[in-house]
Amino acid sequence: MALSSSVEEKIIIRKAEDGDCEEIVRLIEELAEFEKMKDQVKITADILRKDCFGERPLCSCIVASKETDRSSLVGYCLYYPVYSTWEGASLYLEDVYVTPSHRLRGIGRLLWQNVAQAGLDMGCSRLNLAVLGWNKNAKDWYERLGCVDLTDKEDWHLMRLDRKGMESSVHKDKELI
Amino acid sequence: MNNTASDSHKKEEIIIRRAKPKDSPQIFQLLLDLAVFLKSGKDVVLTPEEFHDDLFCEPPKCQCVVATTAQESDTIIGYSLFYPVYSAWKGFSLYMEDLFVKPEHRRKGVGKLLWQKVTQIGLDMGCKGLRLTVENWNKTAKDMYTHHGCVDLTEALDEHPMYLNKAGMEKLVQEV
Repeated sequence: MALSSSVEEKIIIRKAEDGDCEEIVRLIEELAEFEKMKDQVKITADILRKDCFGERPLCSCIVASKETDRSSLVGYCLYYPVYSTWEGASLYLEDVYVTPSHRLRGIGRLLWQNVAQAGLDMGCSRLNLAVLGWNKNAKDWYERLGCVDLTDKEDWHLMRLDRKGMESSVHKDKELI
Repeated sequence: MNNTASDSHKKEEIIIRRAKPKDSPQIFQLLLDLAVFLKSGKDVVLTPEEFHDDLFCEPPKCQCVVATTAQESDTIIGYSLFYPVYSAWKGFSLYMEDLFVKPEHRRKGVGKLLWQKVTQIGLDMGCKGLRLTVENWNKTAKDMYTHHGCVDLTEALDEHPMYLNKAGMEKLVQEV
């Protein structure tokens, strides 16, 4: 799919290939920088390559690249199957990002459409994601697409335990419940 | 993937093991009980047959561990449902979708044992972290997760879970 952005440059949306991993990690770090959490990025191109393009891929990736230079990426999205015990198979959109210089050209919407189509083709009942509440542009955009904010609506909270916490947790003896 | 491991805790007489196909009707009933507790009973559209197929197809769409007593090893008193997810920053992780213990079996450590089993499975799989979602008013659950070291990302970072339903997905892909 080609998206004409200017006479000089066309952008295409395509499935990521293992040669894209360095560029994808560059964009992951760019997004993390924007979210003020770049120090939390531990993934490398090699890890991403093994996880996304190995024998048992853990996630899928669609990228936006320049048509004349496919190795140059201007956007990406990462997604994978999840499960809802209320609705069954669902899809999780882990990241969607377009580099600032290429925004306002419909690239983000095309990435979303490709992920939504992938989800429908897989028989998914919903598309889940997370957004930082202060990222008003993104939140407003998602809500215009029809997304529901579960924190605002039902006070759902996301929680996380890192690996060190997991290791500590399995050895906890004190009973709480 | 479907290896069965059991941990017998003689003091409490609780067994935690991988779910078996014959467990799925009972697990599905507990799933409904959890949805009612979370005030979302009417939102469950999954059928028992779909749930069974999703749990035991190859590869399974989700994984499940159950709790029974040693005396009645076929009666499910609690369950936890989980599946692999991926963090773009950390890599391979685990998501705990559900954790539920029947009310009459609470305060015996069953929830903690289910939690620890899922966590151990995650560690064995090489997970970099464990994620979940909790309703903020569910203080008992939230306290347990916090006690085990979980960070509330919504409080700490203002991270909000969102979703787009199937109708929204269909509308989006039809837009030019």
